[in-house]
Amino acid sequence: MPLKHKLVLPLVAVLSAVMLYPLAFSAWISLHDYRLTRLDDVQWRGLENYGFMLTEPAFQNAMKNTLAFVFGAVSLELTIGLALAILVRKMLRFQNFVRSILLAPMFITPIAVGLMFRFLLNSQMGVITYYLGKIGITIDWFGTELALFSIILIDVWQWTPFMLLMFLAGLEALPKAPFEAARVDGAGGWLTFRHVTLPMLRPVIVVALIIRALDAFKVFEYVFAITRGGPGDATETIMYFIYKTGFRFFRMGEAAAAAFLLVVVTMILVIALVWATKSNEELR
Amino acid sequence: MFEFSKISQRAAAWFAIVLALFVVLFPFVWVFLESIKPPALGARPDVWIFTPTWANWGDVLFRSNVPMNILNSFVVAAATVAISLLVGCPAAYAFSRFRGYQGARYSILAAEMMPPAILILPFFIVLYRLQMIDSLIGVIAAHLSFVVPVVTWFLIGFFDEVPRDLENQAMIDGYTRFQAFYKVILPVVRPGIAAAAVFGFVLSWNDLFYALLLTGNESRTLPVAIAGYWTFRGVDMGKMAVAILIAIIPVLILSFFIQKHLVKGIGGGAVKY
Repeated sequence: MPLKHKLVLPLVAVLSAVMLYPLAFSAWISLHDYRLTRLDDVQWRGLENYGFMLTEPAFQNAMKNTLAFVFGAVSLELTIGLALAILVRKMLRFQNFVRSILLAPMFITPIAVGLMFRFLLNSQMGVITYYLGKIGITIDWFGTELALFSIILIDVWQWTPFMLLMFLAGLEALPKAPFEAARVDGAGGWLTFRHVTLPMLRPVIVVALIIRALDAFKVFEYVFAITRGGPGDATETIMYFIYKTGFRFFRMGEAAAAAFLLVVVTMILVIALVWATKSNEELR
Repeated sequence: MFEFSKISQRAAAWFAIVLALFVVLFPFVWVFLESIKPPALGARPDVWIFTPTWANWGDVLFRSNVPMNILNSFVVAAATVAISLLVGCPAAYAFSRFRGYQGARYSILAAEMMPPAILILPFFIVLYRLQMIDSLIGVIAAHLSFVVPVVTWFLIGFFDEVPRDLENQAMIDGYTRFQAFYKVILPVVRPGIAAAAVFGFVLSWNDLFYALLLTGNESRTLPVAIAGYWTFRGVDMGKMAVAILIAIIPVLILSFFIQKHLVKGIGGGAVKY
């Protein structure tokens, strides 16, 4: 065997064991009535699990919540991250210090973030709720109307730093000349941003958006830590739905089908995103 | 301080940065205060001045399962990273240097995107049948499924940056290709390997989803233990605050060392700015 194959062999072996085999097994499960409570009686169901999921209101609701979550969280993170990156780049002192602190949230375990905010925003003992109440603003953060929005805000707290990280690196790598030219031509801050910074930064923005969106689809910890999908089903995201179907109701077949449908939806969104940014380019 | 000409703009920029710092830091400060509050004052949002006590820290560190959870998390993360580097380094080198691996790069990226929801079901069923639920080996296997692709992806980017002349020279000097990789190239990318290792460690250390379903009393990792502090039976805020801080402080310290390398790693040689 040539060296180039020998070098890759261990990776192929490990990934076959922990990824390809589970993937195939999971696909097989999704085609069966596979219940943890009836492991010796597994029935073939073909695509029925998929059909069932597509018409299941709870699945549709979870998908709707997840999409709202992804769009809300990622667009807020993009906007705030971009604004912060530009501000930090303009700092003449303390740049490294400020950057190190602002990046901190993205490294800590999401379950800790979820529990921290459950505590901070709690209606009885939450310090944020308490002081907002003092100035006359009463907010029920985890009530039916606001719960999903609060989960979005928590995600924004943790993951805006990722956008900041990407955009700081992107800005740093931009050539200086176009900015000088814009300055000589007398373009103000906003014009320069709109017509010089933004177009040049677009490849980085697209990559950051895709990575973040793919990750946001997997949101689980905040829901698990705070609302467990409630009140009612207001914050039931797709990952939590799959967790519940598979490990609370033991209906593995349906959970697997839902997981593969999640992949399909994610793929469609990523392709749409790539396509949207491409066609934009042709318009120019 | 800021590169703005107008004073009003400078003031606005100042305000925005200070606000951002406050928003980021406040939760940490409040959780730390909670951890040293006397239990009688615990969970009071209006108390700022009190005599600090280390009782919560003592309880969690010496009279709870948390030290065992820390050890479990550490063993899982360390083993996962060690195996990932062992299989990831040679493969990433091959992907970076040999023809015909363009597709392989993107399958690594695709593997990185695989949602855990798909893989958790087979992992659970296989480990359940092997009676290996509540064993560290099961969690390590599951963590390999997301740490191996990420570490490999990181390393490809770092190998891409090393000029090919380096190993060509080594081979002229009489090294075999493998020796050139092992003795010349690997030492050069050591900072990249370190960054990939730290990032992989953090990913494994932070995981809740797999650990929640694959561990039990014996093998419980720190994130699962933290989640267990707040249940329908109630919550002990002080102790939970301590457990949270124990889980996040090591990671925050590690993160400062890799911030510089992180963007290059995430880009993995595919993103050229």
